[in-house]
Amino acid sequence: MAYALFPMNGRVRLMTFNANRVDSRPPLKPPSDIASRPRGVALSSMASHRWRALAPLFVLVVLAALISVANPNFLEVRNLIRIANSASVPLTLAMGTTFIILLGSIDLSVEGAVSLSAMVLVLLAANNLNDNNYGWAAVAAAVAASTVMGLASGVIQTMLRIPSFMATLGTWFIGLGFSVFMLGGSAVRLVDPALRGLALSRFLGLPFAVWIAAAAFAFAVVIQYYTRVGRHIVAVGGGEDVAELSGINLVRVRIAAFGLAGFFYGIAGVLAAAQLGQSDAVIGDGRMFAAVTAVVVGGTSLTGGEGGVVNTLIGVIIVTVLSNGMILLGISPYVQQTAQGLMIIAAVALTLDRTRLKIVK
Amino acid sequence: MTAMLAAVQISKSFVGVPALSNVDVEVRPSEVVGLIGENGAGKSTLMRVLAGTHRPDSGSLTLDAKPLRLRNARDAAVHGIGMVFQEQSLLLNLSVAENVYFGQEAQFARFGIVNWRRMNLAARRQLEKIGVDIDVTTRTSELTFAARQMVELAKALTLEESTQRQLVILLDEPTSMLGQADIETLFARVRALKARASFVFVSHRLEEVLKISDRVYVMKDGRVVAEHAADAVTAPRLHEIMVGRGLQSEYYKEMKQEPPGAEVLLETSNLGVARIFRNVDLKLHAGEVVGIAGVVGSGREEVTRCVGGFLPQTNGMLSVAGVPTRIVSPGQAVKAGIGYVPRERRIEGLVMFLSIAINITLANLDCVMSHGVIDYRRERNLAVDWIRRLRIKAPSPDIACRNLSGGNQQKVVLARWMNAGSRILVLDHPTRGLDVGAKEEVYELVRELSAQGKGILLISDTLEETIGLAHTVLVMRDGEITARFDASRGRKPDQVELLRHMV
Amino acid sequence: MKMLDAFRSLLSAGSTGWLRNVAPPAVLLVLIAVIGIASPGFLRADTLLVILSDTAVLFVLAAGATFAILIGGIDLSIQSVASLASVILAQLLPRLGLWAFVVAILAGVASGFASGLVHVRLRVPSFVATLATGGVVAGLGLLASNGRAITIEETSRLDTTWMNQSLDGVPVVVIIAIAAGVASFLALRYTRFGRRCMAVGAGEPAAWAVGINVDRTKILAFTVSGALAALAGVILACRLSSGSPNLANQTLLPAIAAVIVGGTAITGGLGGVERTAVGALIISIVRIGMTFVGVDIFAEQMVFGAVLIGAVSVTIDRSKIAIIK
Repeated sequence: MAYALFPMNGRVRLMTFNANRVDSRPPLKPPSDIASRPRGVALSSMASHRWRALAPLFVLVVLAALISVANPNFLEVRNLIRIANSASVPLTLAMGTTFIILLGSIDLSVEGAVSLSAMVLVLLAANNLNDNNYGWAAVAAAVAASTVMGLASGVIQTMLRIPSFMATLGTWFIGLGFSVFMLGGSAVRLVDPALRGLALSRFLGLPFAVWIAAAAFAFAVVIQYYTRVGRHIVAVGGGEDVAELSGINLVRVRIAAFGLAGFFYGIAGVLAAAQLGQSDAVIGDGRMFAAVTAVVVGGTSLTGGEGGVVNTLIGVIIVTVLSNGMILLGISPYVQQTAQGLMIIAAVALTLDRTRLKIVK
Repeated sequence: MTAMLAAVQISKSFVGVPALSNVDVEVRPSEVVGLIGENGAGKSTLMRVLAGTHRPDSGSLTLDAKPLRLRNARDAAVHGIGMVFQEQSLLLNLSVAENVYFGQEAQFARFGIVNWRRMNLAARRQLEKIGVDIDVTTRTSELTFAARQMVELAKALTLEESTQRQLVILLDEPTSMLGQADIETLFARVRALKARASFVFVSHRLEEVLKISDRVYVMKDGRVVAEHAADAVTAPRLHEIMVGRGLQSEYYKEMKQEPPGAEVLLETSNLGVARIFRNVDLKLHAGEVVGIAGVVGSGREEVTRCVGGFLPQTNGMLSVAGVPTRIVSPGQAVKAGIGYVPRERRIEGLVMFLSIAINITLANLDCVMSHGVIDYRRERNLAVDWIRRLRIKAPSPDIACRNLSGGNQQKVVLARWMNAGSRILVLDHPTRGLDVGAKEEVYELVRELSAQGKGILLISDTLEETIGLAHTVLVMRDGEITARFDASRGRKPDQVELLRHMV
Repeated sequence: MKMLDAFRSLLSAGSTGWLRNVAPPAVLLVLIAVIGIASPGFLRADTLLVILSDTAVLFVLAAGATFAILIGGIDLSIQSVASLASVILAQLLPRLGLWAFVVAILAGVASGFASGLVHVRLRVPSFVATLATGGVVAGLGLLASNGRAITIEETSRLDTTWMNQSLDGVPVVVIIAIAAGVASFLALRYTRFGRRCMAVGAGEPAAWAVGINVDRTKILAFTVSGALAALAGVILACRLSSGSPNLANQTLLPAIAAVIVGGTAITGGLGGVERTAVGALIISIVRIGMTFVGVDIFAEQMVFGAVLIGAVSVTIDRSKIAIIK
C-alpha cells in the first residue's frame, strides 16, 4: 500500500489522508473477522497508513544519504548518470512485472521474454552472423515477438485455467528455448550503429536508453492511472469477484495484462542487447529476481490491487542505488545478493499492512 | 396498479436444500416494497434472483408483463434493475468516482484514455442526486461504512443513464450497520427518489420497514406467507406472521430440557473487549444452555468469539471450572475444554478437503496415536463410532467433508468436540443453512449434550430458537447485557419481551 | 468456443477422485511408452538406472519443496541452499572429513528455519520470504567460495566416492533419495507434524480454530525443506566432485514443477511426497527422453516448457483452487 498519484481534474495530485473526511466514530467492524489473528500493536490506522505509504521513499533517501556520507562521489553527476543508465533495463522490465503483480498474479517468464526479444533483434538487425539489416523494423519485430509471448502466457493461464506460476514457468522455458534454438548457444554481436547508439549515444547528457526507460515509465503511468484497461487490472487485483459482478471480462483483462507485460519485456530486451552489444540466450539470467525485488521493495502488494508503477520506480532506484553504493564503498559484490535479500525482508515487513492481513500464504 | 417487475412461482434450491418455493412477488412503479422474514427465510436469495445474480430452478420473472430472462447482473442492469449489496460490492482500492462508474467507463474514454475530469463531474452529479457530499476522488477504503452505502446507492442509480424506464433498486439489509442518523438520511433519499425508481427493502427491523415501505411481504421458510399494505399492519402482527408457529415446544425438544446442575463450568466477570462489549457477567452451569440474544452490532457475536479464543479480552476476568484463565488463542480455549462451533463452518469449522475421520480427531490427536505414530485403523474405528452415535449420514469415514450436507457437517464438528472431551461448547448460529430436519437433529444433540453435563453457550439466527433451547437467555444491546430471562421448561418468555431489550 | 468448453470439461472430469489420482502415473507411463517406442534404447535397464540417478537430486530437492507447498506456501530458496551446502561441503571436507556433511545439512536447516521465521513472525508471504532468504543464502555462498567453484581434491575424494558407488546394483544416490522420500512420506502420513501440515495447508482457518500451532508447523515445514535442499546439494557436490555457488542453478523451477506435475495442489493441503516422486520422474524423463527421441538439443527447453504446461493442465485439480490467478 503506497502513496498513489491520483488523477483529478486532469491534474495529478498526491493523495493525502484528510482527517476531516473520516467519521469520528470508527465503523463497527462486521463480526465476521474469520481467522484474523491480531498481532502486535495496532497503530491508529491512519498514522500507520501514511507511514507505510511513504516508507519506500524514506528508505531511498536514507540509503542515498548514508552512501553519500561514506563516499561523496556518489552524488557526482557522472555517477548519477551511471545509476540512471544501469537502472534503464531493470526499470523497463519491472514496469511489465508490476502490472502482473497488480493483477495478483506472478510472471516467471521475464527472462525468457527478454531472451526472445534480444534474439529477434540481434538476428534481424545488422549482426555478425547473417546479412540481415532491418534496423528499426527489427526493433518492432523484437517487441512484437515478446508481446505475443506475453499474450500466449495470458491465454494459457486463462483458457487452460492453470495458475500463472505454472503458465509463465512454461512460457519461460518456451521463450528461452526458442532463443537457444535460434542462437544455438553462441553469442551474436549487434553491429547496427543506430541500434548500438541506443545505449552509447547521449541526448542531453543521458544515454538514449535512459530516455527510453523514462518513456516506458511514463507510458506505464498513463496506463495504470488513465486507461480503462489499467484501472481494470487494478480492480481485478483488488477484488476479482466484485469486479466480475460489475461486468468486467476477467479473461480479457488478464490476457491484456500479460500482453502488456510482454511489451515492456520486449523493449527491455532490445535495450539489453543494445547495452551489451550482443545477445546470447542467457541475456535474461538473474533479471527476474531483480525485477521482483524492485517491485516488492517499492511497496506493491503481492496480493494485487495495491501500489503500482510509481512504487516500482522507487524500488528500482533503491535496488540500483544499493548496488552502485556497494561498488563505490568497495563492498564485495557477493554481498550484494545478501543485501538485496535482507532489503526485501525489511521492505515487506515494514510496508505490509499486517493489521488487515488474515491468512499469509 | 399493475406490476412492473414480478417474480412468478420462483423456486430455487442449494445443494438440495430449498431456499425458495413457489414465490410470487411484484414490484409496482414508484413504490417501496418491504421484504421481511427471519434469517434463512429466503429474502437474500429472492433478491439475488431479481438482481440476476442467481438463476431460479423454476418459475420466471416478468418486466412490464413481458418475460425477463437474466443471465447475470449486467443483464439486470440493462433493464434498470440494480442491487445494493449487504456485503458491499465496491472496490476499496479505487476512488469513489471509479466505483460509481465501474464497468461503464467507456462513456468517458477516448482512445482508451479516461477523462477523469468528466467522470469525476458525472460522479459528483450522481451523488448530488441523492444529496450526498463526498469528495469523489477519495479512495473508497477511507470512507465510513455509511458513506460507502451511499456510494453503492449512487452506483445503482447510474442505471438511470442506461435506460429510460423506471428503475428497480434492491436494498439488501442496508441499515444493519448504520446508526440512527444515517438511517434517516437513507430513508430521505429513498423517498426523494421514488418518482424515478421503485425499491425493494430488506431488513430485520420491522418498525423501520413499515416506516419506509408502501407494501410489505412476509417470507418464511422460503415462501411468501403474507402481503400487506404498510399502513394496514403493525410490527407485532408482522412478527406473529413471521414466526408463525408459535413456540412449538416439541420442535425444540423442550420436554428434554432438564434443570442445570450446580457446578459452574464457565464464569465471566466484567468481561470486555475495548470498543466492542463491556461488563459481561455470565455463569454457565453444567447441563445448562445459555443463549445470548441481540441484533447485529449488539456485541453478542464478539462475546462468543472472545470465549472461543478468537478475540482476546481487554478487561475483566474469565474462569473455567473455577480456575481463572486468560484465553488469547483458540488453542488455549481448546486446552481449557472449550469447543467452538463456528458460524462459518466450511471455513473455520472443518477442513473441507480432508476426511471426516481426520476432522474428528484433529482437536486431540493423542487419542489415535500408538507408539508415537498415527494409528489409522484406530482413527477409522473411532470415526465410525461417532458416525453411528450421531447418526451422521455418510457412506464412510474417509470421504471428504465437503461432500456432506450442512447438517452432517455440523455433526462432524460436534463429534470432534465430543471426542476431545470439551465440557463447554460455544454454538455460533449452529443451525444456519440447515433444513428443518437437520435442525431438529441438532436440537436433539443439544439436549443430549446437556444431559451429559456439558455447558452450552448459544447464539442463534432466530429469537425463537434461542428461547426454545436455552435455560437462561441474556439480551445484549450496544455492547452490554440489558436483560436476563429465565427460560426454564414450561416458563419460556415471550419473544416480544426480549425484543424490547434488543432494539 | 464449444470445442474449448468440451476440452475443458474433459480436463475437469479428470479432476475429481480416482481419475485425478491416476493422471500423473498415467502421464508417466504414456511418456515412457512414447519414448520407448520412438527409441527402444531408452528402455534398457542401465538407461533407466542412469535416469533414476539423475532424478535423485531433483527428487530430494522437490521433496523438500513439497513440505513448503503442502502447508500452502512455497520455497524459492532451495536452489541457493543446495549450492551453499555444496560449497560448505567442498570447503570443509579437507578439515572435517565426514563431519562436513553434517555441517552442510545443518546450514540447510538453519536457512529453512530462517525462512520459516521470516514468513511467520514478520507475516511476509512465503514467496517473498524465501526469495529473500534465497538471496541472502546465495550471497553467503558467493562469499564462502569467493565466487568460484571449489574442487573436491583427491584427498577428500575418499569421503565422497561412496556416494558414486552402487550397492547391489542400485546407485547409492538412489538409495539416499528413496530413504529421504520414505522418511518424508512416513513423517507426513504418520506423525502429528504431518497431520498438522495437511490441515494447515488444506484449511488454515480451521486448523487455527482447532488449536493447531500454525506458526510452529510452518516453521518446521520450511526447516525440513531447507534440510532436504542441503542434502540435494551435498549429493550433487559428490557427484560432480566440486562445490560452487552456482552448482544448483536451474534446479529450482524443475523442482517446483515436479511437485505440481506430480499432483500436489499448489495451494496446499493435498498431495504428498509420493506424488512428487512421480512428478520428478516425469520431469526427468521428459528431459532425458527428448535426447533419445531425437529432439534437437537446442529445442529441448521449448519442448520441456510445452510438455510442462500440458502436464499441469491435466493433473491440476481445479476444484481445490478458488480463484486461479
